[in-house]
Amino acid sequence: MCARCLEISRRSLLVGGGVAAAALTTGVAHARILPKDMVPLVGPGYRPTERDEIGLWHEMDRVEEEISGSNLLVQDAGLTAYLKDIIGTVGGPAAKDFRIYLARIPDFNAMMFPTGFAVVFSGLLLRMRNEAQLAGVIAHESGHFLRRHQIRSWRDMKRKTDIFSIAAMAAGVGGAAGGVYLGDYVQLAQLGTILSLFQYSREMEAEADALGARLIADTGYPPVEMANIWQQLIGEEDASARYRRKHRRKGSLFDTHPSPDARMADLRADVAEVTVPGRTYDNKRERYLSMIGPIRPMLLDDQVKLNDPGASQYLIETLAQDGWNGLLRFYEGEVWRLRNRHGDDVRAAQGYAAAVAYPDAPADAWRWHGISLMKAGRQAEAKAAFARYLTMRPDAPDAAWVRQMVG
Amino acid sequence: MRFISRFAVLGAAFALAGCSSLGGGDAFGSDYYSLVRVQRVRVGNGSLVVSPPRPWNKQRTTFFIDIREVEDWTLNGPYLDGISFVTGLKSGRYLIRQSKRADQQVPKFRSDMTPPEIAAMLESLYRVKGGAVDFRTLSLQPRRFLGVNGFQFDFEHLDDDELWRKGRAVGAVIDGNLYLILYDAARSHYYGAALPDFESIVASAELHR
Repeated sequence: MCARCLEISRRSLLVGGGVAAAALTTGVAHARILPKDMVPLVGPGYRPTERDEIGLWHEMDRVEEEISGSNLLVQDAGLTAYLKDIIGTVGGPAAKDFRIYLARIPDFNAMMFPTGFAVVFSGLLLRMRNEAQLAGVIAHESGHFLRRHQIRSWRDMKRKTDIFSIAAMAAGVGGAAGGVYLGDYVQLAQLGTILSLFQYSREMEAEADALGARLIADTGYPPVEMANIWQQLIGEEDASARYRRKHRRKGSLFDTHPSPDARMADLRADVAEVTVPGRTYDNKRERYLSMIGPIRPMLLDDQVKLNDPGASQYLIETLAQDGWNGLLRFYEGEVWRLRNRHGDDVRAAQGYAAAVAYPDAPADAWRWHGISLMKAGRQAEAKAAFARYLTMRPDAPDAAWVRQMVG
Repeated sequence: MRFISRFAVLGAAFALAGCSSLGGGDAFGSDYYSLVRVQRVRVGNGSLVVSPPRPWNKQRTTFFIDIREVEDWTLNGPYLDGISFVTGLKSGRYLIRQSKRADQQVPKFRSDMTPPEIAAMLESLYRVKGGAVDFRTLSLQPRRFLGVNGFQFDFEHLDDDELWRKGRAVGAVIDGNLYLILYDAARSHYYGAALPDFESIVASAELHR
């Protein structure tokens, strides 16, 4: 416990440092960075040669060891191989050197560590509509490594301040300091805090955008998806913030200074530049859905149960642009049920009723449909819905309660 | 309501401050915990009476987090085990104080909630405030509680500190108010170790009118 107490004071130190770092990187206008100028600075099999970078790699190896053994990682060999395959395709010269880990954290995030391993949050997989979008995020993160952003910002920060020591960080610092949004996921955030030292400047983000767009275009994904990802992130954050009547929250994955809109404009220009007229691009949506399909109910569940109705509803509607189905209708009902404002019970009931009309309605949709009908006094229909639920899931953990309802 | 990742850490910091001030008394010099003796004791807002089979530690309520209908106890510290008492939460109220502008919110209780809805409310509590990244319902079944038809909810969850925890809630809605005793502990060793205490406390529970 006392060890944890210490964290708090270290954390506040870090937050102070993070803010200082952020201040270094704002307020300067740059000419747009062109994709064609983005030459990777790292080749295959890169190893550091300078003393400070060797030390950094040494510490990062310990961090990777910790992450690779975390029980927050999704243990799915097929999915892990899939992510590895994507980074092996869009990772440029370092493609075969990258490692990639999938953490079960319901947040729109992915991050690249200075030694070339990436951590993707499961919330990212929920939000991507096709493989090209996922490849776009991974290519963007790869871009940070290929342009040596982490070591550059680390050196920059060390020049400005002497309070940081990587060894002290690795000894156990908590909390996400300014810059890298890690939600409230303390343990991984401890590792992520180290990342906050590698605060990317606006210029670095622009470089990663430009290089990322080029990398996915070169491998045959439609570059426009790169811009679509950002549009979706901005849309989701706006929807969440608008819902709670406040401004867009700061410090998320693609944190943008000075403005997301200026960055969007640059991205659109990048996209236009790397798109070759007449070439056919494939967003590989079918392959993406076949890989993600089996875990999509889990991903939706993790998101919706956070009861962030603005973001959840935006996400469901974004996914529904590719077609409504029973799963999406069910979770739409769940958003309203959890929000639980006046009239939301009726909205939720409509969602469940709509969901069970689809052949792919999950068993839970029948259970909640039954509960809605029961509360509306439609007992006979409720019993039929409960019976359907029990047929689909005879070993459901709440079967005892549901059987009592069926009577 | 006892929560590991954000609030308990803060609590531990206060407890440490208590230590350094060399306070005396039952709770090892900490004014964060007070001793619960083996006798009938009123919990929460006083509307529920229970008898613990051995001494527990009552956690001081924190104005910004706790509501008066909730009281938290622990045996080995909040990271390892704890029992929370919800004593007559009214319809339209929340289990915890939270900012109306927080992106993610614990759903409010309503008096017409069925047991699956109360279970889902508890699940969101763990996900939103407890940092649970995986949450599994083990069972939801009818159970008598405080002399009425209530429910028992068993669950386990993986939290952001990479520890699996396991819990059991026994509750009922009486006159539109929620009464609930919630047990949650590290899954390995601690859950099993204090489960008999929890069951004994639940069996001893009576309304104090």
